[in-house]
Amino acid sequence: MLLSVSDLAIKASSLSLVDGVCLDVSAGQIVALVGESGSGKSLTALSIMGLLGEGLIVSNGSIKFDGVDLVQATQQDLRSLRGDDLAMIFQEPVSSLNPLLSVGEQVAESLITHRQASPAQAFLEAVEMLRRVGIPQPERRAKQLPNELSGGMCQRVMIAAALISKPRLLIADEPTTALDVTIQAQILELMGELAEDFGTAILLITHDMGVVAELADLVCVMYGGRVVEQGPVQAIFAAPQHPYTRMLLQTIPRMDEPTKKELFAIKGNVPSPRDWPEGCRFRTRCDQVSEACLKKPELDGATHSVACFNANSA
Amino acid sequence: MTLLEITNLKVHFPVRTGRFGGNKDVLKAVDGVSLTVNAHETLAVVGESGCGKSTTGNAVLGLAPVTAGKITFEGSDLAKLNMSARRRVWREMQVVFQDPVSALNPRRTIMQSIAEPLVIHGFPKTQLNARVEELMAFVGLNSDQKNRRPGALSGGQRQRVVIARAVALNPKLVICDEPVSALDVSIQSQILNLLMRLQRDLGLSYLFIAHDLSVVRHIADRVAVMYLGLVVEEGATADVFENPIHPYTEALLSSIPIPDPSMRNKRKRIVLQGDLPSPLYPPEGCPFVTRCPIAEKECHSVRPQLTETSPKHKVRCLVRSPQ
Repeated sequence: MLLSVSDLAIKASSLSLVDGVCLDVSAGQIVALVGESGSGKSLTALSIMGLLGEGLIVSNGSIKFDGVDLVQATQQDLRSLRGDDLAMIFQEPVSSLNPLLSVGEQVAESLITHRQASPAQAFLEAVEMLRRVGIPQPERRAKQLPNELSGGMCQRVMIAAALISKPRLLIADEPTTALDVTIQAQILELMGELAEDFGTAILLITHDMGVVAELADLVCVMYGGRVVEQGPVQAIFAAPQHPYTRMLLQTIPRMDEPTKKELFAIKGNVPSPRDWPEGCRFRTRCDQVSEACLKKPELDGATHSVACFNANSA
Repeated sequence: MTLLEITNLKVHFPVRTGRFGGNKDVLKAVDGVSLTVNAHETLAVVGESGCGKSTTGNAVLGLAPVTAGKITFEGSDLAKLNMSARRRVWREMQVVFQDPVSALNPRRTIMQSIAEPLVIHGFPKTQLNARVEELMAFVGLNSDQKNRRPGALSGGQRQRVVIARAVALNPKLVICDEPVSALDVSIQSQILNLLMRLQRDLGLSYLFIAHDLSVVRHIADRVAVMYLGLVVEEGATADVFENPIHPYTEALLSSIPIPDPSMRNKRKRIVLQGDLPSPLYPPEGCPFVTRCPIAEKECHSVRPQLTETSPKHKVRCLVRSPQ
């Protein structure tokens, strides 16, 4: 197992934000972490990178990357992993790049830091990598600043910078949310290709079930800081077990159903961590709720697991 | 009956470019758009960022300068109205923006925000409270939340407040600029259902500006697809989605991810090469020529016209629509 997160809990002082998350990624796999705002998906990703913001702490659990527990690792250990074996791309490509450095230098940086490459050699490799991610005229583009590139191109630059050191795990936090659909299609295709060519595992964080269906091998659905369902992508879409997963799939306006018809809607609002109910955190919005839901459901099952007392009864 | 008619609208912005801003250029955000919205109808304007869809909506609202062209509302030319007539039109025309957080004043209560248009247009003070409570119930808000401030509400609830405020004066037209894109997926369908119910109950018309095609397909009667300041295809929703003619519409539709993993690798996807050209320097000829998979030689020099390929289905393409 390349990455193994077990029983992870994240807190902001006394407020619990992520609670008991277990997640495994093996080499070459694409795992999607799906959830709405406040579900804890981005915090889980940031804790793997050791980039939790101030005031946020991992209060329990372990994050094993290739056998090493990242929770116990020193900043120095983490720093030598980040940008080398572990890479991350973010939602906002433009604000994630340094506006004062040419994109070529930014792509080359990790080779200089981690592989002791000379700046000139690293820059040449960066140009090759920019060509690999589909940037036209990479020699010219490499010398430009991020503001001279479009959003879609900046996202390609981020992907090039993340993949140049051939990381074993790439964490992609909503990589296409800020992009237009025609550009999103390009980037998704590129990520799928590169993961295959480089053997890179991807932890894909998204709220878009369409993107999940296009790219992922395994899916992990989060709600209220907990994993509610986990399994292979075909099983999750064909036979969702948790009411939340099922309802989430039902809310997507489908291209093959009649128009102007009332859409399926999940009642209520996405609760903030302060208002999470006791027991099952989805029970206030669920349509299959029972007495048992006042207790906390545990994730149960082997390849396709679900945390619900009334699973499968739908 | 035609409610809103936009004829050959142009919105051009002067900009300074070059290293020290020494060059004067013109950004043609909207460059000759004609659209009509009929009573009780939803017209969706779709396109990617920078295509001019929001600027078109803003021009109708008087929030963007009209360089050329005409906008008429119920037959009267908006540019020729005096102030009191314009106030009357503004009552009939309201807006819902994308981000409900910045659309509401954080220091005002929900009551104050919803009441504002009523107060401005002289609604009797004694009935104000009852009207606000009625509106809140109408959009699915609990009236005991009326003294709370936006910070205490979730994103979906805030968008309901914005919608309540928009329909407070019984408008005829509501311009919805990406009304659900900032909301969580489980909330989006609640708000779309609310918009469809309000349309049925109040007889509203929507100018619905969006980039999400699966949402548009669901809510719109007619669709106009924009690219670089021009409408490239327009028609009834079913016609455009089932029988897209313009290569850009085709690509747009085929790039929507399908939420079904068993379809992976099975459908033919048209992945467009390259990016949207800068609207400062649009291509000569057809605006789509730089990314078009079927472009021919003349597309680089001749600008195509929007022409009918079948009744009420218009396309702007030299190759696929009669010129």
